[in-house]
Amino acid sequence: MDNGTSNSASENETITLKSCDGIEFHIDARIANRYTLLNNWNGGESACIPNVNGKVLEKVLEWCEHHINDPQLNCGDDDSRRRNTIIEEWDENFLSCDQDMLFEIILAANYLEIKPLLDLGCKTVANMMKSKSPEEIRSAFNIDNDYTPEEEEQFRKENEWAEDY
Amino acid sequence: MISLPTECLFKIFNNLRNDYKSLFFSLLVNRQWCRIIVPILWSEPTVHFGNRKLIKIFLLTLNTEEQTSLIPFKIAFQNYQKPLFEYTSYITSVSDCLYNGIKNWLRHERHEIDCRLENAIKCSLISMFLRTSKNLKCLSLNGFNYNNIVFETLYKNTTIISIHYYTNDGFKFKAIEVLV
Repeated sequence: MDNGTSNSASENETITLKSCDGIEFHIDARIANRYTLLNNWNGGESACIPNVNGKVLEKVLEWCEHHINDPQLNCGDDDSRRRNTIIEEWDENFLSCDQDMLFEIILAANYLEIKPLLDLGCKTVANMMKSKSPEEIRSAFNIDNDYTPEEEEQFRKENEWAEDY
Repeated sequence: MISLPTECLFKIFNNLRNDYKSLFFSLLVNRQWCRIIVPILWSEPTVHFGNRKLIKIFLLTLNTEEQTSLIPFKIAFQNYQKPLFEYTSYITSVSDCLYNGIKNWLRHERHEIDCRLENAIKCSLISMFLRTSKNLKCLSLNGFNYNNIVFETLYKNTTIISIHYYTNDGFKFKAIEVLV
């Protein structure tokens, strides 16, 4: 049944993807068609993905395969979806990996232009930041504080209106 | 933390657009995050316009010309440091709550509630928004008295697409006439 996608490839067609560290994946050609992830794919039977290693590419492709029958969103839908931070259960489980992997997935989705996965990853990180103090965020994400104490205090004063209500 | 490009961090924080408190806490994490979050946090302060702390930052953003009309009321700004960012440049919408915020600020600073003072502050702040807010789209002028300087600045503004105003002094008519 036509689900609104414009995939021209048939269900049985597969192509081979090669990660930057040489690991090969055989994937449904509809995935390659659906996302512009293979900008340099010439329609042949295999393609190379520089910048993404096998471990990360495996996760990205697992997500793409699970969502292969999702209706494609137009820009308007996409925007309203991005604004709420509700995440489906499967996606939540999928992204409850270690933090480095989560960030690698975001980087790969950004690089491969898989927008729904990028949005999902960003939403997940945003949810991890909700209601955390600056110190808690720094320790959760292992971030150094590069403010001078005076500067931090000044920024606190200038933006503290946002803390009320 | 694996370093993410600015566009990804922007996407992350944009999810928290309506969660002012979380944005505020995230902004204090480090300088890079601050630069990305400030434009998001300040784009639509909505009900926070009613907050006197926000009004204070607005007042500190006034230039000498905009401060002039407040001098007779003995409002001094010399002892305060100028804000680190021109925060108001990111504001896209000025809500009705601004006028309550001004009242709240006056009350807190123990100024007598004086219509002339209140109106002078309104004029100065609106002039400042029109000067600094490069992406201002919506401006509420409810409860605002007609003022020639504001009117002239409004005339030059090219970004505003919506003005809320009701009064019976004819300002709306004039404003709409020049904007059309």
